[in-house]
Amino acid sequence: MSSSAFPARAGRAIGLLVLIVAAIAALAPLVWTLTTSLRTPAEAFTNPPAWIPLNPDWANYSAVFEQIPLFSFFVNSVIVTGLIVIGQTITCMMSGYAFAMIRFPGRGKIFMLFLATMMVPLQATMIPVFVLIKWMGLANSLGALIVPALGGAFGTFLMRQYFLQMPRELGEAARIDGASPLQVFWKVYAPLALPPAAALATLNFSGFWSEFYRPLIFLSDQSTYTLPLGLVGLQGNLGTGSISVVLAGVVVALIPSVLLFAFAQRYFIEGITTGSFR
Amino acid sequence: MRLVSGSGGLSRRTLLKAGSAAAGMGALGALGGLARPALASSVAATITFAYFGDPKQATSMRESLLPLVKKVDQNADLKVVGYNGTDWNDFFAKILTQIAAGAPPDIVGVATEGVQLMAGKDLAVPLDDYVKRDMAELKEMFADVDPILIEGLMYDGHLFELPVNFNAGNMFYSTKLFKQAGLDRPADNWTMDDFQSYAKKIAAIPDVNAFDWIVRLWGSWTCFMYANGGNLLEEQRFDGGQWLWDAAYPGNASVKSRKGGWKWGAPTANSAPTVEALQLMIDLRKQGLAPSPDVGGGGTLQGLFASNRIGMTIGGGFWAGGLHNAGMTPDSFDVQYFPKWKEQKHLFGVVGNAILKSSKNQDLAWEVVKQLSAADAFDLQFPGNATTPVRRSLMTPERYKTTGPEHWSVFYDTLTKFENTTPIPAPPYYNALANALNRRTTEAIASGDAKSALDGLQKDLEAASKT
Amino acid sequence: MRGEALFGYLMILPALVIVMLFTAGPIVASIGLSFYQWDVISPPSFAGLSNYEQLLSDQTVLHSFWVTLGLAVSIVVLEILVGLGLALLVQQRRSNVARGTFRTIFYLPLLASASSVAIVMGYMFDQKFGVINYYLGLLGIPNIPWLTSDFGATATIVIIAVWQQVGFAFVLFIAALSSVPKDVLEAAQIDGAGPLRTFFAVKLPMISPTVLFISVVGMIGAMQLFDQPYVMTKGGPGYTTTTTVLLIYQTAFQNLQFGYGSAISVMLLVVLIGLTALQFLGARKLVFYQ
Repeated sequence: MSSSAFPARAGRAIGLLVLIVAAIAALAPLVWTLTTSLRTPAEAFTNPPAWIPLNPDWANYSAVFEQIPLFSFFVNSVIVTGLIVIGQTITCMMSGYAFAMIRFPGRGKIFMLFLATMMVPLQATMIPVFVLIKWMGLANSLGALIVPALGGAFGTFLMRQYFLQMPRELGEAARIDGASPLQVFWKVYAPLALPPAAALATLNFSGFWSEFYRPLIFLSDQSTYTLPLGLVGLQGNLGTGSISVVLAGVVVALIPSVLLFAFAQRYFIEGITTGSFR
Repeated sequence: MRLVSGSGGLSRRTLLKAGSAAAGMGALGALGGLARPALASSVAATITFAYFGDPKQATSMRESLLPLVKKVDQNADLKVVGYNGTDWNDFFAKILTQIAAGAPPDIVGVATEGVQLMAGKDLAVPLDDYVKRDMAELKEMFADVDPILIEGLMYDGHLFELPVNFNAGNMFYSTKLFKQAGLDRPADNWTMDDFQSYAKKIAAIPDVNAFDWIVRLWGSWTCFMYANGGNLLEEQRFDGGQWLWDAAYPGNASVKSRKGGWKWGAPTANSAPTVEALQLMIDLRKQGLAPSPDVGGGGTLQGLFASNRIGMTIGGGFWAGGLHNAGMTPDSFDVQYFPKWKEQKHLFGVVGNAILKSSKNQDLAWEVVKQLSAADAFDLQFPGNATTPVRRSLMTPERYKTTGPEHWSVFYDTLTKFENTTPIPAPPYYNALANALNRRTTEAIASGDAKSALDGLQKDLEAASKT
Repeated sequence: MRGEALFGYLMILPALVIVMLFTAGPIVASIGLSFYQWDVISPPSFAGLSNYEQLLSDQTVLHSFWVTLGLAVSIVVLEILVGLGLALLVQQRRSNVARGTFRTIFYLPLLASASSVAIVMGYMFDQKFGVINYYLGLLGIPNIPWLTSDFGATATIVIIAVWQQVGFAFVLFIAALSSVPKDVLEAAQIDGAGPLRTFFAVKLPMISPTVLFISVVGMIGAMQLFDQPYVMTKGGPGYTTTTTVLLIYQTAFQNLQFGYGSAISVMLLVVLIGLTALQFLGARKLVFYQ
């Protein structure tokens, strides 16, 4: 093992270097957003940019809260995103499992149908969906955003792929021991699906948290606006808003999601898989 | 028609306080002239008013307008919704979705970009009969608004909107950079040659764009096109409209040239003066006087201007508020008329409120539309000089004291000083035109060949004008 | 087994109902609409196949498919390579803190909404005053006209899309790599396999379903690219960055030709079905399921 220790260490050092460069590339626009939000718009174009703000101007942040009802946007986003994520995690875990592990007639065809629904852009179906939502009485409410998203082809597909990666012997052994199909799902495979479920929840969270288009079309009352839609208000009519305030709004919108992810990812993505398979 | 007592330049907090029912009722007492018996409808009517602008103003607007609605119909309710966006396209898409789903608003704020679409497609109600009926009340407004802005909202001799705000394309410049380059404020009748020599002097300053612009229909290279006597479409006028000019401006000589609205004819995108104008923009770039333009709403442009990176650019009254929000002091920028090429011709766009034909409460909607054009309604809808009022009486030094510019009178005088000020070419197929214009402009900039790009635009417009 | 089949149906029922109602239904409506002319305002008028006839000879539409395909392939390939590379490197780190920090960092770009990203990038990629050209200038590279040249605009869209989407592949690869059973890895180590061999012989096959997933979903998503061209380039210069969905949006909502727009969507659907089928066919050979 140790005969290749030196190249291994060099390899790891290079790996770290690559990671740092990539991290800079990932963070640079976000850091620029942060620092520019702490300065006046006139300084937004000074080069080199002051990556560390020496005289942070917090006025832009108070302006964000003054100019738009940020708290209400935030609450709406939390409700919508939270319910969607919970709903999809449940329904997609169930359907993904079934498509992967359970045999039933028409399974392949129905799955193809699911996939196909991902292939038509939102712009094309928006009007029929809007008509449907209105007919269901959900128009202009958070329900208009939540209900259509409680199940998803994307989530189903993702969970199916991960379930397919799991060994069938476990389930077969449980069946032999007398477990019902439900118990096989609940006791054997569901626990193993926590990393992909967490990954799905994470991706859904970021996707729906930053969603702009459906709220734009389906909501018309400002009290129902979610964060990305509400933030557009900072841009002012015809772009007359202050760029620094707009960027401050972007930062404010990011913070809760960042905190949530930083906290949660440790538990979900790594945690439980350290247990090896029998 | 005083809605809320108070002077111009109200802060948002004052507006919110002023929007309380008490103030509204008090102001109603001052109305006096509105002697109409209060109706009571059997079914509770709700008027929805949708506008393109800051949603935050919606609540205060509703509070001020609701008492008036109730005065006409006790059981009626009012809903005010504001949609934000970088350009009118976003707003239209939203309204269209609502129309498609059978939930259209009753009143929509529409700019020149959409007036002919609404009128041509029979979406909006012609206001002629209402105007004739209430002319006594409206005379004050007409007297306060330049007739050209009224004609800008006409189509085929009928009036479709009552105006609220407008923006003409003038030249904004950085006083700081001018001083640095040793330049004085250009004369009112400065020429394209003057403009280019100014640009060259500013270009000598390092790290600065002498001139900058964005790609869109309003206030882009299209200003140069107008100044060169060119246009994208043939300029014609509808007959008619005499009913309005006679009733609203009796004995006023300035309405002699007014007719029934602009009728946009066959495409002239690749005509010589138009090509020459676009080629000028390409040449400016080649000479290092202007960079490659951005596409879209102009956020970057204002940011650059605010950081003193741009010497001159095209803007309208809405820049006063925009630059102020970007942190510019009132004396750091100023405005002048657009320079003269073959002629000194300016473009403008005007915004008003229309009533949709689908509305079940058109009479009620009309009452709201009238109030929206009231003098005090302007700052309620558009605080902070985010656009230019159509009412001459609102163009005061107080309005522009906080934001600047010093020569704010240029905004309105553009309409009165020049006979040839013309609205942007916005036919019923405006959207197709705007998209094609944006695409072909960026194509020309990238390729350096204005003629072939505009030949392409000519084809695009010919196809679009047929549908 | 009847019981098993019933169980299967019950399990897929919630997702099925939602998807059928809110996605499949509207898609069928949209397909139906493609046989009509509709400007939203007046009632639709039946047009038979004329939309499709127009489609097949419309250079703009066909060009948009090529543009979109080119963008999509570039984005997905880069996304997978960079995402997998980063995931491997991050998993390699020994300290929990380092792993957690890097994971958070690479996930962050996903959280920003497309319009926010577009605003920020618009400033950063500005030809004369943007940060990116500034640093490139320090390296001696002249100002690149990012958004106003054909190549620049295309490159900018790819860069920004990959920047934002890498987090997606990254998170999924992390989960997949974490799910590789430790005993298999230990067995490979005992057999004397070095890191490269372990990767190609053990890890890659075990995560291949994830690769397929990212590839299929990534392609479907990238083929529907809309936000970046809409906000940053409006499809320009000329038609260089006009993606198919941007064209659908403009055709339907701006030119008021909903029937024609729906026909283009149907064509996109057909293309996507073809592309997905292709990927699944390739998967038969390359993807390893347990």
